Amino acid sequence: MADVGELKDFICQKFCENVGLNAEELFGADLTLAEVIARSDRMTNSVDLMEAFAKSSNALRKQYAIRVRLPALSLDTPISQVVDLFVRECQQGRPV
Amino acid sequence: MAAVREHGLVKPALLEDALVRMSGLVESPAELEPPRRPTVVVDLYRAFKEEGRRLVDITWDQHRLHEARRWSATALVDSVRLEQLTERDRFVVWSAGKAEMTAKPSADRMARLADKECRRWVGQDNVVASIIQALGTWSRYWNEEEAHHETSFTQLAMRAGFEPLSDDAVIEYRKVFPDDDLLRTVTMLAFSESIASVNYGQYMRQVTDPGLKALFKHVGADEVQHMQYFISFAKALVDSGAYPAKEAFAVAHFFLREEGELYGSAREHVEDRGTHINWWDHLENEAGRTAAAPEALDRKRSLILHSLRRITGVACASAEEVEDYWMDLVGC
Repeated sequence: MADVGELKDFICQKFCENVGLNAEELFGADLTLAEVIARSDRMTNSVDLMEAFAKSSNALRKQYAIRVRLPALSLDTPISQVVDLFVRECQQGRPV
Repeated sequence: MAAVREHGLVKPALLEDALVRMSGLVESPAELEPPRRPTVVVDLYRAFKEEGRRLVDITWDQHRLHEARRWSATALVDSVRLEQLTERDRFVVWSAGKAEMTAKPSADRMARLADKECRRWVGQDNVVASIIQALGTWSRYWNEEEAHHETSFTQLAMRAGFEPLSDDAVIEYRKVFPDDDLLRTVTMLAFSESIASVNYGQYMRQVTDPGLKALFKHVGADEVQHMQYFISFAKALVDSGAYPAKEAFAVAHFFLREEGELYGSAREHVEDRGTHINWWDHLENEAGRTAAAPEALDRKRSLILHSLRRITGVACASAEEVEDYWMDLVGC
């Protein structure tokens, strides 16, 4: 199992790639999910956001052989909480 | 694991009867008489691509079915004996009226989106353009049929003693929905109609007044027919290859997942969307509890999985299978 810092960096990087925002834009202001949808050119609504998390989960699975269950979160959730949730899920270690 | 299946060649009329049963709108087998009416074209892509059918042919089919299914809202509302209604009946009627208020902006969005997408495909893939134009054309019948539902319930609620919705409330409920990917939109509407049909079946079984029972039954049967149309359009989009099946799976997962749309107003957190109103998020009290009853949720899941199979050709037996299949389609 990778350490928490490494996992967190990986998750943040994948979130940035999949929502189409850089780290400063996404994490600098700790955007809510509603703000992520509004600012990303790639996103129309919650279904796009769900897909971005699914891609990030698949990347974790490929890289670390960990299956993260996708969360259903309210749109006022800050992105930092989603990262923490992913890390916690990784630590619970549901192997593929 | 989900299995890929051929689309079965079930007779459309038999299929519709089976779906009406799945929705819980049939109380005895004798109610299903041999159909003598036109049916929804279940393989629209093939109709345009291989059978050489034209938009005017499909439009005539749509019109015949629309006419064959018409019923009088005025007569049915007049047939309800108000003194027979319980408090719960009255409240469900009022709630249904508010929910149906959102059908018009949904259909208005459908017409706008269909026209925009149709123009995009003209000259690139004329079969796809025709499929989408057929969808846009049909949306006028859908809109008109939904008007029967809305006006029946809102009028009945007023007769039963509820304050009329204010103009401000009506205007709020009429917010035209924002655009989304076309396949997602049509798939979502297939699910929305299936959920509505189950709710009306639930309400129908709870009431004793024959007039109100008949009203719920007619509205529920309309919703099943609308579901059939949306399945047909979504399947045609997938069959054309122009719209990836992944989007239909995304919507199915969005509904079926834990705390998903399927659970509507029974969820711990209901999103406050400034852009539009999803009716299933706003069923209050008894109407919401009835919609979230375990047997109702089971029927809704079955209809969503059924719709997804017909749209994509992939059979999933559970929400988990849908999620797994969708995750595979999404990739990294």
